[in-house]
This record gives sequence, C-alpha cells and structure tokens, in this order.
Amino acid sequence: MSASRSALTGTQVSSKQAGTFSPTFAVSGEGDRLTVDGVLNIHTLAEARDALRHWLKQRKTAHARRTLDLGNLSGLDTPGALLLCGLQDKGIELTGIRSEHKTLLDLVCGLERKPLPKTESVARWRQLIVQVGRGTDSAWHDALDIITFVGRAASAASHAMIHPETLRLSSISRQVTETGINALPIVGLLAVMISIVIGYQGVVQMRSYGGEDFTINLVAVSVLREMGVLITAIMVAGRSGSAFTAEIGVMKAREEIDALKVMGLEPMEMLVVPRLIALVITLPLLTFFSDIMGLLGGAVISQSLLHVAPLQYVDRVHQAIDSSDLFVGLIKAPVFAFFIAVIGCMHGLRVRGSAESVGRETTRAVVKAIFLVIVLDAFFSILFENLDL
Amino acid sequence: MNSKTRQHNEPILSARNIVNRFGKQEVHDRISLEVMPGEIMGIVGGSGSGKTVLLRTLTGLHRPNDGEVLLNGKPVGSIGQAERASLIGVLFQQGALFSSLSVAQNIMLPMREYTDLPVEEQERIAAMKLELAGLSPDSGVKFPSELSGGMVKRAALARALALDPRVLFLDEPTSDLDPVTASGIDALIAQLNRDLGITVIIVTHDLTTLFSVCHRLAVLIDRKITVATLDKLMRSGHPWIHEFLHGPRAHGAMSARRQSHGNG
Ligand SMILES: Nc1ncnc2c1ncn2[C@@H]1O[C@H](COP(=O)(O)OP(=O)(O)OP(=O)(O)O)[C@@H](O)[C@H]1O
Ligand SMILES: [Mg+2]
Repeated sequence: MSASRSALTGTQVSSKQAGTFSPTFAVSGEGDRLTVDGVLNIHTLAEARDALRHWLKQRKTAHARRTLDLGNLSGLDTPGALLLCGLQDKGIELTGIRSEHKTLLDLVCGLERKPLPKTESVARWRQLIVQVGRGTDSAWHDALDIITFVGRAASAASHAMIHPETLRLSSISRQVTETGINALPIVGLLAVMISIVIGYQGVVQMRSYGGEDFTINLVAVSVLREMGVLITAIMVAGRSGSAFTAEIGVMKAREEIDALKVMGLEPMEMLVVPRLIALVITLPLLTFFSDIMGLLGGAVISQSLLHVAPLQYVDRVHQAIDSSDLFVGLIKAPVFAFFIAVIGCMHGLRVRGSAESVGRETTRAVVKAIFLVIVLDAFFSILFENLDL
Repeated sequence: MNSKTRQHNEPILSARNIVNRFGKQEVHDRISLEVMPGEIMGIVGGSGSGKTVLLRTLTGLHRPNDGEVLLNGKPVGSIGQAERASLIGVLFQQGALFSSLSVAQNIMLPMREYTDLPVEEQERIAAMKLELAGLSPDSGVKFPSELSGGMVKRAALARALALDPRVLFLDEPTSDLDPVTASGIDALIAQLNRDLGITVIIVTHDLTTLFSVCHRLAVLIDRKITVATLDKLMRSGHPWIHEFLHGPRAHGAMSARRQSHGNG
C-alpha cells in the first residue's frame, strides 16, 4: 500500500491510474477549519462532495468564515479543481494550496463555468401527444415530398426519353446488371419456395372436399396474378431500393452531390433517371422469371403430392389460366418499380450531414417502399375486379 | 520523493526500434523516439512519410512489425482499457466525434463508462471541458453535424481531455482552420501543457504551431527519424530539413515564434 501511495504523491496527474488501485480522499478537523487528505480527482469526486456537503450543512456559521486547508492534498485534476472553485465561490477560503495545484486552480477558476443549457423535459403523457403530433406532421410532409419528387422524377425521365442522347446508357446497363441479373438467384429461389408453400396449404385444405386437384389452379393463378410480382417487388425494394438510398446518401453526406451541381450536372439526370429506367426495365423481367420459377415449384408439388406428371401438369396449367392472368401480374411490375426507385432515390437525397442519417434514411426508404408496394397492389386488385380482368 | 525524480528522468513514452511495413513498402526502419513528461513533441515529414502510421503505432492502434512502444513504462498493448483511457487522449484528424451523440454526450461518454458520478456532476464537468477547449457550453447541446470545422476540432479536443489524460496525441490540430482559430488552438495547447502538465505529441504541417509551441521536433525522412530541438534542426545540413525550415513559408512562422517567446 505504501509503495502505491508514494506513486501518487508528486505531480497532480500521476494519481489517475484508474483500475490499478482506487485513490482515497478524507477530510479531518472540525468546526470552521477542515483539512483534506489524499487525492481529489474524478474517482473520488462523489465521495468528496458528500463529505463536504455534510460539513457545509452541519453548522450555522456563515460560509465566509470557513477555511479548507489543501496542504495535504496529494493529487488534483480538473473535475476536482472545479469542485474547489465552486466552494471558493461560496466564500470558503482555500488555504495551503501547493504550488503545483495553484496553476490548475487558477486555470479552472478563471473559466466562466456556465452550465450546459437545459433541455426541456416534458411529462410522459405530453410526450406521447407531442410524438403523435410530430408523426402526423412528418407523415403529411412526407406525402407532399413524395408527390413533388414523383413529379420531378417523371418529368426528368420523360425528358430523357424525348432526348435519348441525354440518357446515360453505361450507367443504366450497370444498374440493370446490379438490380436485375444479380438478383436472379434469390428471386428464383424465393418464387419456388412460395409456390411450394401455397401448394402445400392448397392440398391439405382441399383434400377434405375431394378437390385437391384444383391446387394446380390455385398455384398457377395466384403465382401469376399476385405472388410472383409481389414477392419480386418486395425483394427488389429490400435489395435495390436500399442500395439506391445508401449510394446516393453517402454521396450526399460527402458533398459529392453539391460537387455535381457546381459542375452544372443535374443529380436528377445523373443519378435518379438511370436508376429509375433500369428498375422499370428489370422488375417486369424479374417478375416474368419469378412467374416461371413459381410454376416450376408448382410442378414439383404436383409431382410429389398429387402424382401429376410434368406433361400433364403443363396441360392443366394451360386450362387453368388465360393470358389476362399473366398480363395482370406483369402490368403491375413497372409501376412498382417506378415507386421503389423514386422512394429509394428520394431518401438518398434527403440525407443530411452524418453517416447515421444514411442508415436512418435507408431504413425509412425500405419500409416505405414495401408499404407502398402492398397498398398499390390492393388498389390494383380493386381496379382489375371492376374491369373484370 | 524518489518517485518524483524518477518520473522526471524517465520518458513517459518511448518507442524502440519500430519497423512498419505494408507489403513490400517499408514505412519505418527501426526508428526510436522518447518523449519526456511535460514535453511538447512535434512530428513532421513529407506527405506519405508515415506520420499518421507512427501516431497510430504510438497509441497502440497499429501493431508494428517489429519493436515496442512503452507508455508510462508498460507496453501499450498490455495496458488495461480503463487505465489507457485515463492515460492517453487522441484528437483524430477528422474529429471522430460520435455523430449520434450531442457534443456534451460525446464528452460524458468516457466518464459514464469509467466513473459512477451522477449525471449533473458529469454535465458540470463536460461544460468545464468545453470551456477549457474554448467552446461555449451552449454548443454542448449541438450534434457534430451542426458544428463548423473549427468547432469540431475544439469539441474533439474537449473529448480527448475528458479524463484528464497524461499524454495527448493531436493529428493535425490546426489544418483546415483559419489563422485566428489556429493560433487559438496553439495557445490552448501551450496552456494545457503548462497548467495541466499534459505531455503533447503533435503531427502537423503547420509551421507556426511547430515554431511557437513545440519543444522538440521529430522529423521523418527516408524511413528514419531525426529528433532534435528546433534550434539544432535549423542548422541541419539535410536538404529536406533545410528546405522545410528555411523555405518561403517558414519566414512568417519564424516571426510568430519570436513573438510568442518574447511574451512567454
Ligand atoms: N493500411 C495501409 N495499407 C497500406 N499502406 C499504407 C497503409 N497505411 C499507410 N500506408 C502507407 O504508408 C505510407 C505512410 O502513410 P501515412 O498515412 O503515415 O503518411 P503521412 O505521413 O501521414 O502523410 P500525410 O502527411 O499525407 O498525411 C504511405 O505511403 C501509405 O500509402
Ligand atoms: Mg497523415
């Protein structure tokens, strides 16, 4: 113990070896004069404040007549000095200050020592109301933002269509590869899985009515009309929508977007339009691929559960569906693609400053894109029902 | 008593025979460096000479291919987390403030981890550190993305000072700053060194900083290091050092030195 204590005496900062041993602090003496012993640093601060508070409350004499002797203080750091300065402000006299502590005390006592500004804390129930209000407000602004951005993106895209020389073909083809070709394995796998799930449910449920053969109709129709496009769109929203936000967001955070603007290059034309066009091209193709894979999954189910041979299966599918089923599914794809791309890019351009904001906007973009895909799908269902398709 | 004399004679930081290689490229070839307690050491060298790598090696962030770094007498790698936190503070070149926390929360983070002080006490200390670094406590509620470049530097310095470290590492503390703010940072470094007894190691290209606050300089040239006082280096015959210290940019900085030494 004495060996480690001797290491603390000496310079003010040498006592701060947190973890290896705990420095000690003690007050002694009585009445209006008190002597402190040991180390006053960030680790003994709480202890010291308690001891001194006790002393300050104890007696009724004016603080001005009290003195605190620092002659035995062996270590002091800035938080400790802050405490002593506070005492001095209350009129307590500090005596016997060692020379090595003097400069530190002068430095800290010389500061203005303003407190941090108070952040208003609101009661729980009011916080809830405030949150609901803020949420509604931001949802409203979001809706407006989406509408304006959709407008701008549509006009930029149509401008590019009218003036094909402004299209950035290399950029589009890179995006097609990234969002389309690289997504083939996962989309295909997912489509097979989904049709197996539907097939299983169909067989089990319809067996009790003796109509399990209709499972083939169920799988074929639901894959072509709904599941193929929905699963693909959700997958693409998670995969490519988020990538759009992150790519554009990082560029925004590092002022690259501003650099583009200064060079007279429109971010809308450079970044948004190629992604938009690429996704509008790839999502219908991916959907068609996913339809085929879904039907393939249906073949597997029919073979294993219904003992329907592949050729027979093709025949049955042919009877079950007509071209409008395929058309209904595929027509939705470009619409979904448009919104997924627009929302991804919009959130990318909304990034402000930090890297954290990239993460936040990416999450929002994915959630919003998937939400919108499902809402639009519901609208399409109603529309097609009324059109008798 | 003898602990005191020992402390003043032994280096607080010593690097011995450091070798750093990246693939075939050798950045440091058996370089050694000793820094005494209470000293301000400047590290200079051309672009790509390995200053940042050296700083990362000294703080234990980068493991050298060979050689060892002793901090306060112990190998840096073997120092425990809490001890390391109260021993060294680092000001990274880009500030490296945590973007999800306010400035005050950034400063309070190490206190929250290593002490059990009540929050009000931590806030009082954070406000003091901000003032110490030359920022108004009002900026404590701001987030890093809302600060200007100079404020980022100061806020990062306040965080580096959070646990009253004994050794402060500064990577280009005055780059990207206007001359007035830069001089303010220089004065601050000198004051922290004088009043808190903090040992400071600065990587910088700023000649004014080198001339006005550093006690000794370490020059990295050709994978080797030369350590000497400024006056000795001024007389050095090495072409790069001569160009560096006598070039057109050095003259203005030199007068700043005369001024600061005249005042101090
Ligand atoms: N992680 C790494 N991998 C490969 N090489 C590296 C790595 N880090 C640094 N280097 C190389 O080491 C050399 C020194 O780099 P360092 O960043 O230390 O230079 P510097 O002296 O700080 O230069 P500047 O003044 O431009 O900041 C450079 O040639 C760099 O390419
Ligand atoms: Mg560097």
